[in-house]
Amino acid sequence: MKGIILNLLEEAVIAEFGDAAWPNLIDLAGVSGVYTSLGSYPDEDVYALVRAASEALTTSQEEILRWFGRRAIPLLADRYGVFFEHHRTARSLILSLNEIIHPEVRKLYSGAGCPHFQFSDHADGRLVIGYQSPRKMCQLMHGFVEGTSTYFAETVELEHLACMQDGSPQCRVAVHWAG
Amino acid sequence: MPGGGALGGVKHLQFTIPEGDEDRVLRLERQLAREREARLAAEAIAEKGLRDLYTSQQRLALLQRITERANSSDDFQTAAAYALKDICTEMEWDFGNSYVVPDDGSAALACDCWFLASPDGLDPFVEVSRSIRFAAGIGLPGRVLTETRAHWVQDVREDTNFLRLAIARECGVVAGCAFPIMVGKQVVAIFEFFSRRTITPDEGMVETMAQIGIQLGRVVERVRAREALLHDTLHDSLTGLPNRVLLADRATQAFERRSTGGPGLAVLVIDLNGFKTINDKHGHHLGDEVLVAVSRRFSAALGSWQKEGGSEVEALLARTGGDEFVVLLAGTVEPTLAQHVAELLQSALDAPFRAGEEEAPISASIGIALCAPAYGHVDQVIRDADLAMYEAKSGDHANIVMFTPSLGNRVRNRMALEQEIREAISARQFVLHYQPIVGLSSGQVSGFEALVRWNHPLRGLISPNEFIPIAEQNGSIVSLGEWVLQEACAALARLHRTMPAGFLPSVAVNIAPVQFLQPDFIAQLRAVLRETGVPPACLKLEVTEGVAIIDSERTRRTLEQCRDIGVRTGLDDFGTGYSSLSYLHSLPFDTLKIDRSFIAAMERPKSLSIVRTILDLSKKLGLSVVAEGIETDRQSLSLAAWGCEFGQGYLLGRPEPEATAFRFNPARPIL
Repeated sequence: MKGIILNLLEEAVIAEFGDAAWPNLIDLAGVSGVYTSLGSYPDEDVYALVRAASEALTTSQEEILRWFGRRAIPLLADRYGVFFEHHRTARSLILSLNEIIHPEVRKLYSGAGCPHFQFSDHADGRLVIGYQSPRKMCQLMHGFVEGTSTYFAETVELEHLACMQDGSPQCRVAVHWAG
Repeated sequence: MPGGGALGGVKHLQFTIPEGDEDRVLRLERQLAREREARLAAEAIAEKGLRDLYTSQQRLALLQRITERANSSDDFQTAAAYALKDICTEMEWDFGNSYVVPDDGSAALACDCWFLASPDGLDPFVEVSRSIRFAAGIGLPGRVLTETRAHWVQDVREDTNFLRLAIARECGVVAGCAFPIMVGKQVVAIFEFFSRRTITPDEGMVETMAQIGIQLGRVVERVRAREALLHDTLHDSLTGLPNRVLLADRATQAFERRSTGGPGLAVLVIDLNGFKTINDKHGHHLGDEVLVAVSRRFSAALGSWQKEGGSEVEALLARTGGDEFVVLLAGTVEPTLAQHVAELLQSALDAPFRAGEEEAPISASIGIALCAPAYGHVDQVIRDADLAMYEAKSGDHANIVMFTPSLGNRVRNRMALEQEIREAISARQFVLHYQPIVGLSSGQVSGFEALVRWNHPLRGLISPNEFIPIAEQNGSIVSLGEWVLQEACAALARLHRTMPAGFLPSVAVNIAPVQFLQPDFIAQLRAVLRETGVPPACLKLEVTEGVAIIDSERTRRTLEQCRDIGVRTGLDDFGTGYSSLSYLHSLPFDTLKIDRSFIAAMERPKSLSIVRTILDLSKKLGLSVVAEGIETDRQSLSLAAWGCEFGQGYLLGRPEPEATAFRFNPARPIL
């Protein structure tokens, strides 16, 4: 996992729960906590932090990931405004992930394993995002989509049509923007 | 809970600070905040460094790929097509297009070499751009042409000097940039790129484009060098006209087309008359200038003929030798058409050329051969045109001669003879015979005229009438004449050694005009006199008035130089040509020779009065006179009575070889 994700998580936790919350969470998770945006760290650290937060807050891990996804978007926009400024809708930004954002990520992290998203249109007009990753973090993606929609002041509804957590080979999430 | 963004159970993540440590904690928190800021700043710096590194690596790789491609490309289009695609892909332009710039640098012309990375909706813009032309300073390519560096337009819609504005708007084109392909300081081509999004000008990108421009310029440079080399091998360096190699190639092509049912061809071989005189008189430099001027006139004449004539015939003018040109006419060529073209070429030379201060007349002898079915190879057509030219050249005036098979035989015989003459000089087959010149009142031998004969190994003795005109035409007369002068003087020296003291017969040697006008003639004359020891006064050079017609001024100078040396000079065959009195007046001759035709016809009153008039005139001008062709006592007596000093003819002695001719008793009169 790229350090930037752990950094964003830190920022999100501190913003929500105060300065002390992050060191506490580190201790609870039993991870090193030394993360810089340019480093790569074991995926296990993220799982441990999510698990610890889930236990401390008595909230499901899925909900923790969605919360983080939502909170991460404005922080990302702050830090990488250039990726947001060419887009006027959440849909446009999300569709640019594979072609624009991921290549940019690879400029910084050579060999970064970015998930590839498959986009298709559902018969009812919804956008279907296909996601496949050994990390199985479709809930984080769910949070990202919500956060992006909020960023563009849009209302969104998501439905998990299929999920790797349930044994499906691929997660498929149908997205519908109202209005 | 979720949805609003907040998480429940906040208290589980909080902890309590012990009393008294609050200040320390606050200080540590501030320090922590600073550390975090510092870390973020360091990360931002490192991130920028990584991005820049990535970008510059990508650009270096791009430049390297294009350089490698440029190094292995033999034509600009291929290298350009590759580069356009690679630049579009790497620098994220939607459309890349190229222009070539003609040598005068006046404009950029789209060359239909382009790459469309993202076709959506750009087609109309591409369609316009692939064949457009920009004058210097106009539009994006025009500005690059003027500025000789990259030009960036951040938003073409706001640019006042963007010609394709309407179509660009329609296609959603936003950013554009262009850069030059350079050879040295010259813009030879231009690349332009467009994108539907804003692309901020980037120093690194501009620098990479400049480097790409230099690398692609090398392809153009190589192509030009190759073309120049090819041009040099196919063109004459002096006039820039196609040379023999290119002519042969085009002639072969035309011939092959004809043999596969295509139209015919004709070959005109043109040889200049008067050029050699200019070269000899004014030197090669002026000669070269005249050749260039001739080639321009020929080109202009053919150019306007093709423009106006509406003829389907293609004409190629080549320079194939010193003053020899060839015109290849490819197409349906009737004899009259070839004749017409030849006449046009001749008229192109009507106005005299200038060589320094003087006018230098040049004319053309032209031989024409039309391709007939009998020809098996185009070389035969060219050869026959050459033979026809040869025939044209043999006349007195500039002629046009159409090849026929009988003409071919005639000319071939003559050419064989020419070759034989050249060989005969080195094989020493020429001999001199000597005919006495006798004082008509004393009856005593005063000297001899040296007359050349060709002792041909198969044909026996050949008269000069058969070979001198040919030797004069092909130039071998100069070496033959040199030998004659040398041999006559050597023979005279031998004769003088056998003569009694105080009696020194003279020898008269005929000098051909071309020999007499050689720039080194006087030097050669001095050398011969020095080597043989013959007193200059015993040598008499005989020239015809033809020499004065070619170049009277030079003739006068050479005659004066002869007189300075002490050598005497005579005007031969007087009365047969123009017999211009002005020559007699202005040229310093010592002797005048009355042509044998007047002597033979002395029975007739008209001839008689001519002879008497010549004698009177000579007396008044102080010229001594030799009458040629005296065959009877009556002729001899009459001439002596009228004051003719010397005579020559069968009555007085036939031409004989040295051994016989020089065996005479100087004390005993012949008459």
